Amino acid sequence: MSSFSIIRCLGLVSLISGVLIVGASLVTKDQIRINQEIIMRDSIAQLLPGVEKQVAYGVEPNGELTRLTSVDAKGPKMFAGYDKQGKLLGVVLEASERGYADIISALYAYDPATKAIVGFSVVEMKETPGLGDKITKDKEFLENFRKLDTSKPIVAVKHGTKKNPWEIDAISGATISSRAVGRMLQKSMTEMAPIVTRHLDRIQRGTE
Amino acid sequence: MSQEQDNPFLNGLWKESPVFVQFLGMCPTLAVTNSVRNAIAMGLATTFVLVLTNVLVSSVRKLVPNQVRIATFIAIAATAVTVTDYLVKAISIDIYKALGPFLALIVVNCVILARAEAFAAKNNVSRSFADGLGNGVGFTLGLTMLGTVREVLGAGSFLGVSLFGPNFEPWVLFLLPPGGFITLAFWLLLFAWYRDRKARAAAAPAAMQEVHS
Repeated sequence: MSSFSIIRCLGLVSLISGVLIVGASLVTKDQIRINQEIIMRDSIAQLLPGVEKQVAYGVEPNGELTRLTSVDAKGPKMFAGYDKQGKLLGVVLEASERGYADIISALYAYDPATKAIVGFSVVEMKETPGLGDKITKDKEFLENFRKLDTSKPIVAVKHGTKKNPWEIDAISGATISSRAVGRMLQKSMTEMAPIVTRHLDRIQRGTE
Repeated sequence: MSQEQDNPFLNGLWKESPVFVQFLGMCPTLAVTNSVRNAIAMGLATTFVLVLTNVLVSSVRKLVPNQVRIATFIAIAATAVTVTDYLVKAISIDIYKALGPFLALIVVNCVILARAEAFAAKNNVSRSFADGLGNGVGFTLGLTMLGTVREVLGAGSFLGVSLFGPNFEPWVLFLLPPGGFITLAFWLLLFAWYRDRKARAAAAPAAMQEVHS
């Protein structure tokens, strides 16, 4: 077997592979984007019950906001949700922090009127099944985010010892994951709450 | 050779089950079987890749120089996996997230390369298709059997439907990695015991008849 036939074989296989992959990517691109947008919309609707209209903003490094038209834009984002009358229900923000296994990323709803976190949902995590992954669906844990005060630093405390409105009652057996949730919210709030406050008028109008 | 032994579909499905007999692809077998849904999704994705790779490898088998056949097979498998990756993402992002890195890792699942090298490279397209499908469905079946035991004991549910009510204390160990090994071991123990019993039964009739007569 000459080396020419080897090169021809490998070259041909690579060429066909490339064509197939590009083809599959082109065929599925639109559907994938639609899926991602639907997931985003649904999770925002879950975090802000009664939401009728959503506006997406990109957050610039200097703290300015730009109106976005697509959810797969790069960089930090926020989503403002409005009810039927066009009243601002709250903003949905992104947060992420290293958990027990890997980075946990989440969305949470912040109500600028009461300065409280009013909803929380995990987007991606690889926490231990049966223990850390309870942060995604444990009812008692999610109850923490019905109205979590942000005037003091948010902190996760040992299960059953929550006394103050800014404390998160951790899941027993999943303290590390619970603490990561506390840290990610505190980190994101320190950064984003001033930006939301600064642009509150514009966000409330929701037209630009 | 009997009819049954020569049927590549049935061979892959059960007689030479990739999970319980060939012991191929143990990594996804243990890693993504903590729920029935993940097990089935992983099994179907693998089946799709397996069939596609087997058919492609079989159709080019006479054109590929011997020295580069492994490289060619891997390139074909990688292409099939990438296409599957896009398709799963387009079908359901939820399933895509549940499978995580293991979807991309199908390419190094040794079931794929083993079937390409051991079967598709030596057989015609239709037999290779049957072999890929049989092994894929057999893999799915094996994964689902592990997933069922692990989800029922570890979460008290089947396909997400709670079975025992709120008072059931989940046996979390079965969702963790050790649970995968333990469950696999018990399934293998069961099959080995059954095979052993059958072998004894086949050897025994002569002796049995003497006793009874």
